Amino acid sequence: MIRVQGLTVAYGAVKALVDVSFEARTSAITAVLGANGAGKTTLLRTISGLKTPVAGSITHDETELTAMKTEDIARMGIAHVPEGRGVIGEFTVEENLRLGALTAKLNAKQSLENQYERFPILGERRRQHADQLSGGERQILSMARALIANPSVLLLDEPSLGLAPLITAQIMATIKDLCASDDLTVILVEQNASSALRIADHAVVLNVGHVVANDVASVVAEDENLRQYYLGMVS
Amino acid sequence: MDIFLTSRIASDVLGGVTNGVIYGLVALSLVLVWRSTGILNFAQGAMPMMATYVGMIAFGHFFGYWICVVIAILVGFLIGAGTERVLVRPLYGKPEINPVVVMVGFLTVLEAVAAAIWSSTPRSLTTPFSPIDFHLGGKPFALSAFSLYQIVTAIVVMVAVAVLFRFTNLGLQLRASALAPEVSRLLGVRVNRMLTLGWTLSTGVGTITAILVSSNFFTGLTPQVMDGIFAFGFIAAAVGGLDSPVGSIVAGVVIGIILQFVGDYVNSNAIILVALFILIVSLMARPNGVFSVVKARRV
Amino acid sequence: MNRGLSSRRVITTVAAVAAVALSFIVTPSSRDGVALAVLATLTVIGGSVLLSSDLRRAHPVVTRAATSTMAVSVSLVATFFFSSTTNFNLATGAAMAVTLVGLSFLTGVSGQVSLGNGAFMGVGAFAMAIWSNHHSTTPIVVTLLISIVAGALVGLLLGLPATRLRGPYLAGMTLAFAVAFPAILTYFNSWTGGDGGLQLPNAATPPHWLRALYVHGTTSLTSGTLWLTDITLVATGVAFFFMANLFTSRVGRAMRLVRDNEVAAELVGVNLNRARVLAFVVSSSYAALGGALWTFLNNSVTPATYSFALSIVILSVIVIGGIGTIPGALIGGLVYAYSTNVINWITNQTGLNPQGNFASQLNGIIFGGLLIVTMMLAPRGVAGVYYTFRHRRASPGGDVKSPSEETYAEA
Repeated sequence: MIRVQGLTVAYGAVKALVDVSFEARTSAITAVLGANGAGKTTLLRTISGLKTPVAGSITHDETELTAMKTEDIARMGIAHVPEGRGVIGEFTVEENLRLGALTAKLNAKQSLENQYERFPILGERRRQHADQLSGGERQILSMARALIANPSVLLLDEPSLGLAPLITAQIMATIKDLCASDDLTVILVEQNASSALRIADHAVVLNVGHVVANDVASVVAEDENLRQYYLGMVS
Repeated sequence: MDIFLTSRIASDVLGGVTNGVIYGLVALSLVLVWRSTGILNFAQGAMPMMATYVGMIAFGHFFGYWICVVIAILVGFLIGAGTERVLVRPLYGKPEINPVVVMVGFLTVLEAVAAAIWSSTPRSLTTPFSPIDFHLGGKPFALSAFSLYQIVTAIVVMVAVAVLFRFTNLGLQLRASALAPEVSRLLGVRVNRMLTLGWTLSTGVGTITAILVSSNFFTGLTPQVMDGIFAFGFIAAAVGGLDSPVGSIVAGVVIGIILQFVGDYVNSNAIILVALFILIVSLMARPNGVFSVVKARRV
Repeated sequence: MNRGLSSRRVITTVAAVAAVALSFIVTPSSRDGVALAVLATLTVIGGSVLLSSDLRRAHPVVTRAATSTMAVSVSLVATFFFSSTTNFNLATGAAMAVTLVGLSFLTGVSGQVSLGNGAFMGVGAFAMAIWSNHHSTTPIVVTLLISIVAGALVGLLLGLPATRLRGPYLAGMTLAFAVAFPAILTYFNSWTGGDGGLQLPNAATPPHWLRALYVHGTTSLTSGTLWLTDITLVATGVAFFFMANLFTSRVGRAMRLVRDNEVAAELVGVNLNRARVLAFVVSSSYAALGGALWTFLNNSVTPATYSFALSIVILSVIVIGGIGTIPGALIGGLVYAYSTNVINWITNQTGLNPQGNFASQLNGIIFGGLLIVTMMLAPRGVAGVYYTFRHRRASPGGDVKSPSEETYAEA
């Protein structure tokens, strides 16, 4: 479980997040929604330690994360799949996966096989360089790379960005399955509110750094005001 | 066969390879630092020079050649790691000229300190290998026990670096930190440690190079011993591609052979002139190195 | 506005006092000390008066011309009172300042740095000597221009491939050039005279037009070596005048844009490659002029002067003075001229054996150390520290330019 309390983050004089509080429960998907510039990516970057907050706290179970280094947060089992997918194009598919498995001190061969079983397309392309993959394949690769270390928390930044609706639906289904089977805490940042709300248990809506809604996903999905003003969904 | 091996052309090729592997090693050490931290280390000759003085001269009174070599390499590791931590770390993200100026300053200080302690008089290192050329059918051909030692050592170092980077988890992390530092940190790679390690390895490779250069009977060890070698090494790295370890090694060997012919058939003062010419022409034709596969970082 | 003016007065006074104190420390005989003090005070006060007026904003070129003329004429008067040692030191430093201001321009406008300006000085120095030996009747001004062209051509050859690339290629290539330069001189030894170098043919004879200028009255200028110093100072003044204009010209502004923001520069239609190559050619031409002036001052040139070590000293003194600024080049030139005295003084004070290893390496340790420390703590050197101080003092008042703008605008 991730608990965010009173989080304020600033870039110079500009505040990207103001007094943000919410909880992301274990075995549940928490969607963070909002328009461009609402502070969604900043939120994930602050959780994984790439950005230091001005005030507030972030705890994972009982551990305070805000004073920790990115590397140590990652080693605790908090996996962040960054926006734009972040696969290393010069590496082969297998090298990308090996890099993900490094810190987990697992049997590398076995965990690689597990991922190839889960995502057969990666097994077929294991010797190819990642920059030869399609957008959807790269998204799958970066998720597999995050999952290979058996994380307890998965932070997903815009997994549907730039993908065809069909592939988006597949990826969302995969996320849903993972969450149900692996005791995973998922924080899913999305601009594509409808597809995220379809699988999310809980939803937080951000608007220019402020929390404007924090409720069960179905409630958020039915709130006409939220839909119209913050989520860009026309009924 | 014997006649060919003792011919002028074969001697030049062998002599060229012997020098060329040195240029290749310097180029390799430059590439290691450039790839991991985006800095062209102008003290890449002076740091190993210092390690060689400490290992081979200061400890030379107490131990034999091979123990001194090990000590020198360890000192080289220390100098590399310490430099990255103290001098280089504050320079990341600063304008391009800051690291250049600081490393040139460091080069100056190291050379002056070495000369202050050990004077500028060349020191000869006693090697277990003879610099006298082998004979074939009564005629000398341009290979001695020492040059064989130099070539074999260089190949071993190059292969070791390749194996480390290609096939080990440590190498994977080193490469990942250089290519995508932020993503690597998100995957739990200790990127800062990898940067330090990059400098450590590079100075280690440099120290082996400096020991080979100064073990040469004809050069000896002086504080400035690496200045010229650094220039050739940089030319090899720039021609082969600062991003490309293999390219820079190949370029080093090829340039070594070409320059040996120039020195033999033209004049030894023309060597560096031709080297500069090769650099100018190759940068005009392939700005990112003849062997570079990375997309051109042209303006 | 008042606050700005009063702070300027304070700074002027402090600078004048510092200049007087410094001149007593660095000059060996007391008569020179007095003269140098007069010179320093006049320059600081005069400069301050000129720079504070509205004239500067309305007619920048006129102001720069006036400033250069004033500085040069005050120095010329002063040379009459100085010992020949001091004059020689000043002229050597002035020629060095010409080299430095070229390097300052390169870094200031393009963000790149050259490690080979010692070798480019050598190009100018040998071009001057070789031309004079073949055409001894060429007027000195023409010979200096020929040396500048020689520097420009070699600069173009190296600059064309290297400046097109981002990263440290230019620095690396110029370093290779500096390391190679002695071997290049030896390779062309039928021209360059090998290890012994070259002598100028018409040693220390002032040109007839200079003698004609002083036909009435004093002959002291044309006797001895004073005229060498004075011609060097005039050339330095002219070089600085052009550079001050270049820094603030449309081209200079465009190039700073290149340094700070490439995309913006491309949008306003600046040809990036050409701008970078141009900056490098300007820098190597200035270095060549500096070297030619050295040959002229010494009546001879030796290859040993233009070793790799000189390039490093050049980089050191400009970084200490303030790389990217014009005043930094003047400070650097002064530091260069008196560095030997200062280092000897340190050797004496610390009781080191002057013939010992350590004393002979003190130069490298101090310059190298200062390079590192300056870059870490104050990357803009002495000039940068001064600007920051002034900017902080002046900022509550009305119109304040951005510090970088100010850095380039003042000569």
